[in-house]
Amino acid sequence: MADRIFAGVMLLVTLAYGWLAFFAISAPFQYDPLGPETWPQILSIVTALCFAVILLRPDTDSMQVARPTWIRLSLTVVLLLGYAELYERLGFIIATALFGTLASRMLGATWLKGFLFGAVIGVAGYLLCAELLELNLPSGLLTF
Amino acid sequence: MSEVLNGLATGFGVALSPFNLMLVAFGCFAGTLIGALPGIGPINGVAILLPIAYGLGLPPESALILLAGIYYGAEFGGRISSILLNVPGDAGAVMTTLDGNPMARKGEAGRALSISAIASFIGGTVAVVLMTLFGPLLSKFAVAFSPSDYVALMVFAFASLASLVGANPVKTLVGASMGLMLATIGVDANTGVTRYTFGVPDLLAGIDFLIVVIGLFGMAELFHLVEQQATGKLKTLPIDSSFVKWADIVFGRWTLIRSSLIGFVIGVLPGTGASVASAVTYGTEKRIAGKSGTFGEGDVRGLMAPEAANNASAAGAMVPMLTLGIPGSGTTAILLGALLMFNIQPGPLLFTQHPEIAWGLIASMYIGNIALLIINLPLVGLFARMLTLPQHYLTPLIAILAFIGIYSIVGNPFDLFMIIGLGIFGWILRKLDFSLAPVILGFVLGSLFENNLRRALSISGGDWGILVQSWQSLFLYGLAVLVVIVPLILSRRRRA
Amino acid sequence: MKFVRTTVLGAVMAACAFPALAEINRPECIAPAQPGGGFDLTCRVAQQGLAPQFDRPVEVTFMPGGIGAVAFNMFNSTRTDDPNAIVAFSSGSLLNLITGKYGKWTENDARWLATAGADYGVVAVRADSPYHSLEEVMAALKADPSKVVVGAGGSVGSQDWMKAALLLKAIDGDPRRMRYVAFDGGGDAIAGLLGGSIQIYTGDAGEMVPHIDAGDLRVLAVMSDERLEAPMDVIPTAKEQGYDVSWTILRGFYMGKETSDADYQAWLDAFRTAYDTPEFAETQRSHGLMPLDVSGDELKAMVAEQSATLRSLATEIGLIQ
Repeated sequence: MADRIFAGVMLLVTLAYGWLAFFAISAPFQYDPLGPETWPQILSIVTALCFAVILLRPDTDSMQVARPTWIRLSLTVVLLLGYAELYERLGFIIATALFGTLASRMLGATWLKGFLFGAVIGVAGYLLCAELLELNLPSGLLTF
Repeated sequence: MSEVLNGLATGFGVALSPFNLMLVAFGCFAGTLIGALPGIGPINGVAILLPIAYGLGLPPESALILLAGIYYGAEFGGRISSILLNVPGDAGAVMTTLDGNPMARKGEAGRALSISAIASFIGGTVAVVLMTLFGPLLSKFAVAFSPSDYVALMVFAFASLASLVGANPVKTLVGASMGLMLATIGVDANTGVTRYTFGVPDLLAGIDFLIVVIGLFGMAELFHLVEQQATGKLKTLPIDSSFVKWADIVFGRWTLIRSSLIGFVIGVLPGTGASVASAVTYGTEKRIAGKSGTFGEGDVRGLMAPEAANNASAAGAMVPMLTLGIPGSGTTAILLGALLMFNIQPGPLLFTQHPEIAWGLIASMYIGNIALLIINLPLVGLFARMLTLPQHYLTPLIAILAFIGIYSIVGNPFDLFMIIGLGIFGWILRKLDFSLAPVILGFVLGSLFENNLRRALSISGGDWGILVQSWQSLFLYGLAVLVVIVPLILSRRRRA
Repeated sequence: MKFVRTTVLGAVMAACAFPALAEINRPECIAPAQPGGGFDLTCRVAQQGLAPQFDRPVEVTFMPGGIGAVAFNMFNSTRTDDPNAIVAFSSGSLLNLITGKYGKWTENDARWLATAGADYGVVAVRADSPYHSLEEVMAALKADPSKVVVGAGGSVGSQDWMKAALLLKAIDGDPRRMRYVAFDGGGDAIAGLLGGSIQIYTGDAGEMVPHIDAGDLRVLAVMSDERLEAPMDVIPTAKEQGYDVSWTILRGFYMGKETSDADYQAWLDAFRTAYDTPEFAETQRSHGLMPLDVSGDELKAMVAEQSATLRSLATEIGLIQ
């Protein structure tokens, strides 16, 4: 069933992709016989056929993910989105400390250890990457 | 020959000065660390550190030696997160995950890390020797390799990847074609029209390869770990002190030699680099091993092949850059830019006009390879110990490392959301038994194939005959047929 | 790494010791690409050339993404009046603006500041090519444009392609009927020329110098109004050979549209003072650029003129509707 849902959704995406390839993409003129549209057209046909086959003859019944696991996965996504959102705004150190604390807490660390982990990674990561290796990391609220 | 020896003598004279030696060592060390970060590979490592090398006011040969050290250091370091975390360290290290990570999960992280370090060393050294001996000759070959020959090379690459087909061929095929579809996003390289960009300026130049890799592999791995942990399937691994054995190297000697050669040649060609080289050699070795291999479950040959190849190709890409002033890869394009900033015109006369730079760089590659081995082998234990971190720290660490890697390339938070989205997609694919490698390879090979095909056809004015006009392409088509057919015949004969 | 830290630290401390200019306290040049490319070089010209003008060195930062669109968007949305930042551009950026790659923005959505220098188009062939002059190439193109394989490092609508299209326009040919091969950058295109995939290469003068010295390429014409400096001075211009084609690749800087006049003027003064020094010309040369010092309203007019030419050509051959 999971196979079917996925293949169904992807089939729609592929059809949209193909529709654009067949009806929207074109160059005012081109020097090669194929142009920008032929390759996507071929791809959309092959991909659509494949998904159609999977839709008709699925081989994976379910994702076998229990409800608590779904909740935890959704939480992970929320944490990641928050981390990305705050990355520049708070800066690497604070955002990482926050994310590290919450994520490790969620995965079973104690609050204290989680916080220590987050803070250490945030500060050490910044020193190692931004200061020593001169990588570009946001300093955010903490300006040096 | 004496010319080469004289040149090498000049080069070692430059590279062995204490200051330059220190720069090589520092470059290799920093490169290893940068390469170990998921996402930041050689190209970004060099690009990011270039302004610093420039700002330091080093003499040009020293600056170039430093940058080159970072370049192959990063190529060396890319394997680390592939093996330990199942997150490719860079574009050339995608295939390394396929057998490297299973080994680590079997408690052989140390063995995998040390074997791959030695494979990298062999690949890099073979390539530098070949480059010293045949550089100018090879550059003629590289230039003569026309767009239609690239098409043949891509056909060969796809053929050698037929070995990746998993239990459900339809799922493998659809994986590859989804990768090919992703690669069509952006401005079309031939006609300049936009495809699938939906007015988002960030998409104009296409989706960065690293974003796809880190998203599909790295973030999907993170979700996988969260899930495993939630169901209690995950245990922290004990400290493992496994290490490479002499027997491993003897066992994989032909794999190492073949992969170094193939990797080098693919690296020499402008336009193809470490990712194509490692994919082709992995596929070829898997084909050759046939039933005797346990590829995908931790076969040492599956680890050696891509690692020897990606390091060999890194050195190979230097050939057209040094002899012709034509970059063989994105990274060497940046090195070329660095030369310009030092007011040195890269080009065919580099060897005669600036022998200290050209030969100094080559000598530094010999030294760099040795330095990398010396630096990397003792670090094996330290890196392997990372896996003994409790899972509730290791899992968030993947996200933190991936964010550093992706953000520091461009500094665009948009990319962070992209990898989260691709990660969710990748996790679903994994849950449904799609393997991710074909997606990545489709993504890499797709635009190379399409662009070169259309380029060839615009050269010929629409005549498809151009595709079979050179001996190089015929040779590659022949190889493509062989790599598909021979294993079939062999297995039939074995059965008979 | 210790010495790195000390040098950087030293530079920063030295910079802080001087009182900064009122408006421009942290001069920054944004290269809208990865390090190492043409925009990086453009910014280095500002960094090195303007060093005597500011108390602090001009910091070069990178904003890759969407062939420059990301940076152009940012300076039209969030940093419209940033007094500290200038952004590198080239004629290629103008083409992207005109063909709509940057979305709704046009050449009127930036304050054009000053040039870093210029490069010029060239027509080159392999050393053993049967073509010895631009006239022979043009004759062949006129006889049958589909028989001559022209190639360069960019797609249709890029500045590399524009040079080839202008050649055809000069002989009343139709750029749509030529045989044009788009390579992935100038390096690949030169490889294609050396390898015999293409016969004519329309490149930039700057990248030709080493190949002229090595003798593996022959440059038939430069697309400038006057002859260039040595070693390119032996190469005749297209105009000398009777074809009215010129292609100047502007390399310069713009600022946000809402930058205050005072800030804009401060930058302008910095550039104009630098232009008068011999060191600036040396900086331009060492970064592969030919001297071309245009700033302020003069640059604005030049951008407008080049944009108008490009727009009419692009409209004529259907690149924009």
